[in-house]
Amino acid sequence: MRLLLVDPDPARAALVAEGLAEVRPLDLRRTSSLDEKELLAFKPDLIIVACDSPDRDTLEGLREATHANPRPIVMFVDRSEPGLAEEAVRAGVAAYIVDGLQPGRVRSILEVAMSRFQLMQQLRTDLAKAQSDLASRKTVERAKGLLMKERQVGEEEAYAILRKLAMNSGRSVGAVAADLLSFHGVLRGDKP
Amino acid sequence: MTLSLDLGFVALTDAAPLIVARARGLFAAEGLDVSLHREVSWATIRDKLAAGLFQGAHLLGPLAIAARLGAGSEPVGLIAPMSLNAHGAAIGVSAQLASQMEGTGPLGLARAAARRLGRGEAPIVFATVFPYSMHSYMLRYWVASAGLDPDRDIRIVTAPPTGIVERLSSGEIDGFCVGAPWGAMCEAQCGARIILEAAEFWPGGPDKVLGVSESWAAREQAAMQAMLRALLRASVWADAPENAGELASLLATPDYLSAPPGLIAKRLGEAENGLRFSRQGTSLPWRSHAAWIFSQMLRWGQADRDTAPALALDCYRPDLFRAAAADIGLALPLADSKAEGAHDGDWSLPGSPGPIAMSRDAFFDGAPFDPDSVRDYAAGFAITRLTR
Repeated sequence: MRLLLVDPDPARAALVAEGLAEVRPLDLRRTSSLDEKELLAFKPDLIIVACDSPDRDTLEGLREATHANPRPIVMFVDRSEPGLAEEAVRAGVAAYIVDGLQPGRVRSILEVAMSRFQLMQQLRTDLAKAQSDLASRKTVERAKGLLMKERQVGEEEAYAILRKLAMNSGRSVGAVAADLLSFHGVLRGDKP
Repeated sequence: MTLSLDLGFVALTDAAPLIVARARGLFAAEGLDVSLHREVSWATIRDKLAAGLFQGAHLLGPLAIAARLGAGSEPVGLIAPMSLNAHGAAIGVSAQLASQMEGTGPLGLARAAARRLGRGEAPIVFATVFPYSMHSYMLRYWVASAGLDPDRDIRIVTAPPTGIVERLSSGEIDGFCVGAPWGAMCEAQCGARIILEAAEFWPGGPDKVLGVSESWAAREQAAMQAMLRALLRASVWADAPENAGELASLLATPDYLSAPPGLIAKRLGEAENGLRFSRQGTSLPWRSHAAWIFSQMLRWGQADRDTAPALALDCYRPDLFRAAAADIGLALPLADSKAEGAHDGDWSLPGSPGPIAMSRDAFFDGAPFDPDSVRDYAAGFAITRLTR
């Protein structure tokens, strides 16, 4: 079976390909943007496309223009697979099969793609959170240093001041620390 | 209580009512906490509406109807309780094709197409944004008026608006029909020549709608009305010529269109071919507009000839629009349908509290459309897939 994966995000496409490595026989081709000549030459049985790919509408257009395509492309998810279309779009993928393919094997392949898309989303969210946690820790350290210098207090007391400010304003210690640093900059004459 | 809603849009000037309602706090004033999500594909907007990820979206009017008929996807219960705009779309050609055409009429294109095919070269390629769109129907109508069969004598491909600019630069396509501001972008970046504006093809004709899931609208009637009130107020603001500059700057920002404000401003305000959002009954989802769209689906073989017209027409829901418009005191046309293309000059539309002043609405070829004779109209064209 020939599978074409259209995904503008190469890292995510690699993750999907790795997930499908076990599936045999499968001829998988990845592309970040659709090329019609390539598509016609490769003759995929199944096309999986990321919902955030601008090529989705091009594929929908090809499905209409059957004269350009000897093998019509149809929407994979049909009435026999209730709920699968919704599941796929939630995961961020859409799938098209080329007429004549038995949908039986498609479901398992699509499920791998869906779970890999979700995994990528999770990895990206975790990474963003880790980066912001790190930035917040650095900010708190700098704000503590500033308080220790300006108020002539020890590290523990500086942190207690920040925590009290945070509690009084109902915000996080990181947010209060960031405010403190930026206000200090303004008072010192930095451009806001 | 605040209700959270997710609405989708594509980066086009006619998404203005959604963007204005969000940015100017009109949703918030109705107790709605709206997140706007920019999408790059109409198919994804349709699918996210169907899956309930979006409660509403900026949508091609013809795509709302096609989804309902199950054309191009499994049937999706979508409705259009409001129209978002008229005008903005434009047909344009590359500088090279313009030089091969005599004049800017469809006959000039027909001769250029014939010469190319006669020399055994590849056919002229046009791009539109979606098979079910006013852009596609406008292009097909226009080329067919010169005896060109849009499926045989030229090629029509589908590409997203930003992709059209790229493909024109690379020479992959010779022409396009695309919404504002991307036609102006093709002019500015690739020297393309605009040869027919939607406002010249059919003044006041349909384009984008607010697409909503029918079951959501039935379940959340209060939220549906609140959303419509906010969008109708936003449309009135977006229509006012004095707000054109501010609107262009707002739309231009990276979160929305991410395009030069000067190009956006060209089709706003009182520009002759400019977009209409509210005036002249634009926000009403006219059943006669849905009927015309359905006639083109029949004409080009997208809808089965036995499809009951009511199935398509019921997608447009003027009743929902009327309730919201009356709430905020907008002038209301008395009817839900009108004779289309019947006026070659200014005319007066019966309305409440008084008549509404309208300008000409004649098609570029002068052929009128009677919404009660959809099949005869579709079968009456020289080039059509529908036989009587």
